[in-house]
Formats: sequence, structure tokens, C-alpha cells
Amino acid sequence: MQRRKFLTTGVALAVLAGTGSAFAATLDQVAEKVLGTWLQLALELVRHTPTYTPPVASRTLAYLGVAAFEALASGDTTLRSLAGQLHGLKTVPDRAPGQGYDAAVILNAVMDPLIHDLFSNTGPTGQHAIETLTRRLASQAAADVAADVVAASRSYGYTLAKAVLEWSRTDGGASIDNLGFPVSYTSNPAPGHWVPTSKIVLQQAPLLPLWGKNRAFAMPSGDSCTLPPPTAYSEDKGSDFYVQAMEVYTTSQNLTDEQRSVARFWSDDAMLSYTPPGHWIAILGQVVAEKGLDLTAHVEALARMGVAMADAFIGCWAAKYQYDLIRPITYIKKVIDPKWEPMLNTPPFPEYPSGHSTQSAAAASVLTSLYGADYGFTDQSPAPDGVPQRTFTSFQAAADEAAISRLYGGIHFRPAIENGQAQGRCIAAYAIALKTRV
Amino acid sequence: MRLILLAVLAGPAFADDVVIPKFIDETETSGITSAYKGDWEFMTGGGVAAFDCNGDGKPDLFMAGGTDKSTLYRNDSATGGGLKFTAVPSGAELDRVTGAYPLDIDADGILDLVILRSGEDVIMQGEGQCKFHRANEAWGFDGRDLWSTSFSATWEKGQDWPTLAIGTYIDRTQDAFPWGTCTENALYRPKGKGFDTPLALNPSYCSLSMLFSDWNRSGTPSLRVSNDREYYKGGTEQMWHVEAGKPPALYTAAEGWKPLKIWGMGIASADVNGDGYPDYFMTSMADSKLQVLAGGADKAAFKDVAFADHGIAQRPYAGGDLRPSTGWHAEFQDVNNDGRQDLFVAKGNVSAMPDFAAMDPNNLMLGQADGTFMEAGDKAGVASFRQSRGASVVDLNGDGQMDIVVVNRNVGAQVWRNSGAGIGGESLGHWLQLALHEDGSNRDAIGSWIELRQGEKLQRREITSGGGHAGGQLGWWHFGLGADIAAEVRVVWPDGMAGDWAKVDAEGFDDLTRGKVPVKR
Repeated sequence: MQRRKFLTTGVALAVLAGTGSAFAATLDQVAEKVLGTWLQLALELVRHTPTYTPPVASRTLAYLGVAAFEALASGDTTLRSLAGQLHGLKTVPDRAPGQGYDAAVILNAVMDPLIHDLFSNTGPTGQHAIETLTRRLASQAAADVAADVVAASRSYGYTLAKAVLEWSRTDGGASIDNLGFPVSYTSNPAPGHWVPTSKIVLQQAPLLPLWGKNRAFAMPSGDSCTLPPPTAYSEDKGSDFYVQAMEVYTTSQNLTDEQRSVARFWSDDAMLSYTPPGHWIAILGQVVAEKGLDLTAHVEALARMGVAMADAFIGCWAAKYQYDLIRPITYIKKVIDPKWEPMLNTPPFPEYPSGHSTQSAAAASVLTSLYGADYGFTDQSPAPDGVPQRTFTSFQAAADEAAISRLYGGIHFRPAIENGQAQGRCIAAYAIALKTRV
Repeated sequence: MRLILLAVLAGPAFADDVVIPKFIDETETSGITSAYKGDWEFMTGGGVAAFDCNGDGKPDLFMAGGTDKSTLYRNDSATGGGLKFTAVPSGAELDRVTGAYPLDIDADGILDLVILRSGEDVIMQGEGQCKFHRANEAWGFDGRDLWSTSFSATWEKGQDWPTLAIGTYIDRTQDAFPWGTCTENALYRPKGKGFDTPLALNPSYCSLSMLFSDWNRSGTPSLRVSNDREYYKGGTEQMWHVEAGKPPALYTAAEGWKPLKIWGMGIASADVNGDGYPDYFMTSMADSKLQVLAGGADKAAFKDVAFADHGIAQRPYAGGDLRPSTGWHAEFQDVNNDGRQDLFVAKGNVSAMPDFAAMDPNNLMLGQADGTFMEAGDKAGVASFRQSRGASVVDLNGDGQMDIVVVNRNVGAQVWRNSGAGIGGESLGHWLQLALHEDGSNRDAIGSWIELRQGEKLQRREITSGGGHAGGQLGWWHFGLGADIAAEVRVVWPDGMAGDWAKVDAEGFDDLTRGKVPVKR
């Protein structure tokens, strides 16, 4: 009953002031729980929905983050909408003047249709879970809230969700066919280019070759943060390319237990984990809890993180298909050791730059801008197969480890890692520059 | 049963050309009307058990019904004739049935049924004449109340009662966050003339198929478990040591076992490559696997050869739907009697997953002389586009030709009769079928190996109980002989003792009793 009283007062204040102050009074644990529960489901659906490779996951997490932010920004005069700042998002719906709203109900009404739509292709268990939470959270969000506030909040939330979904339809990434693999694809036959590395029929073509052409969120376009070309291809033993391949090979032959743990911890495989962007969203959730951040700070960070990581994948993918570089497994088997097997499964797309390096650097840059360069933490994200949790002195240290893990795992050469990180930091600057406060 | 093959066949042509057998869809006239129904809790399962429950020598069929009651169909087919079945009251009509496997648990010569359910599992003791009664209490079987999805059985050394393994799936009560809630698989070891308290096979990773199989011919089968990666966290495919008197123990990396994460749904086994060891086909979604032993008998390491051998079944080959496939029951048999293993895979979308083929034809991959497979499901006439689940490739009308029955989700089961000829009128090969018998508790000699010799060529078949998807068969063991009209056979019995070689003529059913010469039935 305490919440009902709170809201009654809040509605009155809103009518009187016509500001976000009434809204601020409703930022309670229920709203945080509603948001957190939907985000948790989203991460599980990323793990369990077949099209959710890392680029696709980053896109969805960006839309969820922006939508959650706009849900609050529309009722808080201290917040500045991202409309007009993000490409293609010209406006977002306004709230009705004088009407009382409830944050939990709005957030639920926003997240519910977004999750339904963005994960519409998930399997029967995912659908079952979505429907279960739809019923459960709608009831919890509306508990003890005045009927007129519930109705207005739901209406507004649905309207906002519709606007965000309409915005999402035109970015180039809305439709994923054949799990993201072209039905036909002609590889570049010249030496040094990507060739299939998998024994799965689907993966005889590379993943999402056009993803780099998607509309970016904050950076101008997929080629806004260019990176130098990869090392010139050569099979000569004295060449730089051979040397960089030998580094991967010799490292893999002499992996320490620590390096194995690092590679496994950050493997973040599609269909087996939250994927790299989901991993970083989980880290954000941990930081929010550790620092006791309020709901506004949470959704601000969600939006920036989502935008940065989604742009990182667009930029990274643009470069991957610009350079179309061979994977270590192909080169090493051909030139160095035909029996070599890397520790990690080689992802089915070109090598340069490293996606995890690019997007982890972007995510860490955003987190550093928000919470400082020396925020130490023990990563509580679900670790694969019993790999111990890892502790970091900073977000950057975590991102550095995520990046080098790909060399330990035998799936990237060093230039893809180092130049990928630089690209990620460049891309993140656009998300960091977004104005979220008036 | 005296079987007479009256069809006058042109001389079989057994060059390297593969004869595609012609199957005739006799669903409409078969009398089989079962469908596997239900929503979320019945998205997996839908098995069929094929076994002779009335002693007439032909396999009868027990079909899971999901939310409908299970049905036992008595086989009324005439030898070599059309496929005819009659649903008969059996006492085994239960709802929430996901699958079933036949097994003579109490060694009375009458097959019993282990019935898997989304709910309490039930063992039905066979009475004969296709009648059954519940035996959970009498045999100390704790059926638990879980979502059971897989089964296998073995006789451990020194035991006069079988050991059962039952695999389970998701915790049905966790409807919002069901992932990572795989419930315990269990090992039911003997206790007198019954079962001891079930022993948890932890960790359990949502098993959809399991199979006791002697992967390295050590004399002690291990338990392979195929798991659905959709629901486990930190899981993998598994193989357990199950050694008499010892707790079960997982194979380790030090023993060669490598993690493999697939949407494991069904296991089929056969010695496909002729190396003397069983090979394993695992169904999945888009990435089915065909594993052969990679490092010899001392190392539990397997190599995936599905892509190289075209034993792939990862994408529809007919119907125009290019989205990836979803495989369920898999079974090796020789459907054209050329002496090579063929592979049938029942396929179908989980429900309405838009990223996977909606038009997903069942596969019939025919073994070729070079060891690879050739897809022939559409040409053979078995490329159903229904949402298939369980199946059995079995000689239903006693003519020596392997027929096919498939259980489908929400729509009727289908049955195809093997015409005994190729699609171009070619003759199929010769064949023989054997039934194993030995005294003691393991009357059907589960765990034996049948060896069949044709000059330099040797076919080996492990006699197992389990695997597939939610259903299996027990009865006659079929061999194709190609152009030969006889072969030599012997049995390596479960205790490792090899019987004598004996000549067996083609086109017959022979009882092979331990210590005795084969006897035509």
C-alpha cells in the first residue's frame, strides 16, 4: 500500500508541476526489478535464440537500452532524449501533460513488446518464458498503482515501444535469413582470403557479410573508424605474416593454465553464452548493483553501452569484409602444421579485426567514462564450464584480457587484436559524446 | 515363422551402383492413426517401440501419444503383404507418454515395456498376447515425476537383472527461466529381482538420447549420452563408465574425451566404416554428427566425418526450404540389402521455429561402396514433411525388407512398406534375420555382437537397447547380403565368448541360441 500512496501523491504533484518530479518519486524497486527481469530474460534469449550471433545481440541490446532510457527521459526534465542524436531516431512520443505515470508500468509496457518482437524467432521454450513473464511482470508492475495511472503508463509504453520498433526496422539488421549465413557465397580465390573453416553445411558461407553496411547508431557510418590494413599476406618464412602466424602457433603449443582459463572465460560463444555484448551488459548490471546506482543511471549506461557495442560490430564487420582475411587455422594448417587445432572453435567469418577486441574495447571505454579508470571488479558473469571467475583492476584491463584471449584461443593474429581495440575505442567516443542530461 | 519370398526378382545387380529401394506409403490403409500431441512439454519425444508382443514373429508397435493416450497396435500384416495394424487394448494405455523401449526385464521370455513420460515413468510387465500390467511396485522401480526423454539398458557383469539408464529434460516448474534446470538422469541398478534406489548421473544435461555401447570392444559397454545444449549450462555430450560394483564415472579429457556441444536429440550406432568398432550418428539442429573412433581402442576420441562422408542431414534436400534441418530419431539399417549400412533420420521443426526448415524431409541416406552416403529419401518415397519425431526401421511384414514407421507431432504417424525392389525395378539384395537367445537373465543377449562373414567381408552388429529418439526395437536383427545367398554368422556373447561360425541361408529367419546351431523359424 505504501507504493499506492506514493503514486497518488506523485500524480497530484505531476498535475501541479507538470514536471518530472512526480515521476522521480516512482523510481522504486519495482521498476528496477521489472527492468532487470526483462534484461535477464533478454540475455537468456540471446543465448538460446538461433539467430543471435554477437552482432545481432549487440543490435537488440542497443534498442533495449535506448528504449529503457527514453522511457524514463520522457518523464524527467533533467534527462535529454537521444532523439535527434541517434541516426534515424528523429523523435520519440511525448507523454500527456498533466497525466500521472508509473515507471515500472511504463518500463514493462516498453520491454514487453520489444522482447516479443526482437525475439519473435526464439524457440518454444523462449516463447513460453516470454509469455510467462508477460503475465507475471504486468501484474507485479501494476500492483498498488491507481488504475488511471496504469492505463496511461501502459498506453505510453506501448506507443514508445512501437516507435522504437519502427525505427529499428530500417537499419538493415532487422531481418536475419538462414541464421545469418548467405545461401550462396563466392569466396575470393586469391591466397590470404577467408575460406570456410567449419564442417557445418550452413557455415560454408561467412556470417552476415553485409552487417557493416547497417545504419550506425551514433557514429556516422560503418567506416567511420578505419584501421590500417592487415599484415600483407605471405607464406614465406621470413615474412611478417608468417611471423605473426608463428606467434599464434607457438603460443597455442605452450599455453599456460592461466592462458587457457583466459581463453575459455572470454570465449563467449554464440548459442552457448550471452555472447560478448551480453557479457558486457551483465558486467554493467553487476556494477549497477555494486555501486547502488539508481534506475536513471542504469538506463543511461544501458543506452550508451548498447549503442557503443552495436556500432562496434558494425564498424568491425565493415572492416572484416573489406579485408576478408584468412583465419589462423587455415594458414597454420597449410603452411606450418597440418595437424594443428586451436583451443577455441574458429568463428565462421573473416579474421581481421577481432570482433571481441573491438567491442570489448568499446564497452570498456563507455564504462570507464561513466565509472572511472580504476574500477576494480570480479566478473560475476556466468563462466563457461566451471572456469573460475576473474578479477580485474579496471574495465580496460578486462577488455585487454578479452582481446588477447583470442590469440590464446588460436583464432586471431595479434594485429586483429591490437588494431581492433583501437577501432573500438574510436567508435565508443561517439557513444560517450551522446548527451543524456540537460 | 516360415517365410517364403515369392517375388520373382531379376538377378540382383551389385556393382557399385546403389539401388534406391521403392517405398510405398501405406499409412491410409495401415490402421495406424496415432498422433503425438501436446504443447511445450511434448515438443520432444514421440517415440515408437517395435517388438513382438503376441509371439507371431512380426513386430507390433507401441506409440507415444503425448497428451493423447499411448496406443498398442497389433501387427496383422500378412507375410509379404500390405501393412495392417489394429489398435488393441493392452493395459499400457497411458497419457503423457513421451517414448517407450521393449526389454525382457524379468527373463520370462515375454518382452516388457519401459514407458517414459512427462510425469512418472512406468514399467509395464508383459503378460503375453500384447497384455501388460504395471510393475513399478513389484520391481521396486521409482518412476519419479520428471520429464523423461531417453533410455538405455544393459546387463552388468555378474547381475541377473538389467541396469536401466533413464535421461530427463527440463524442470517443468521453471517456466520463466527454464534454462540450466536440467533434472537428474538416473541409473537403476539391480537389487534382487528388482531395482535399487536410482543413482543420480550427475551432472545431467537434458539428455534426449542415451545408449549403452561398447565403443572400444572392451567387453563392458559405456553409456553415451546425447544432450540438448539449448538447456544446459556448462554441459557437453557425455560418456559414462558403468562398471559393475563401481559408481558411474564420466570419461575425462585424459582418456581422450573431448567436449562437444550440440542440440543432441538422437543416437544411432553401427560399424559404418568396418573398423570393428561402433560409429555414432547424433542428430541435432543444423549440425548433426557422424563420429568414428579416432585414436584406437585405448583412447575415447572420436572424429566427425559427417561432412566428408555426406552423412550430413543438416539441410533439407527436397521441398525447396533451405533453412537448416532439425533431426530427431536416427537409425542405421540396410534398406536395400546390399550389405552396407544406410541411415534414416526423422526430421521436423521443433514447433514453429522460423529459422529452421518448416518443410524438413526425413532423410534416407544410402551407404555407398566408397564409404560415403547418398541421399535418396525423396526418390525412395519417404521424404515426409510432417514434424517427425520417433521412428523405427523394421521389417513389419516379414518379407526381409526393412519398412519404416514414423511418429509425427500433432498429426498422424506414417508407415511405408519397402516394396522389395528398386525405384527402377532393380532387385534388392538377399538378406537374413537372426534372433539371439541365451539362458539366464539376459535372454535376448543385449550386449552381444553378431558377426556375419561373406568371404573377406565382415559385417558386425552390436546388439543394444536404447538410443534413437524416445523409442527402440527388439526382435529380429536384419542383415543385407547383396548377391550372396548365404553367409557365415557367429555371435560374440555378452560375456565375450565367441560362438562357432555357422552357415545361414539367405531369405530366412533363424533363431541363434547360445551353444546351438542356428534354427530356421
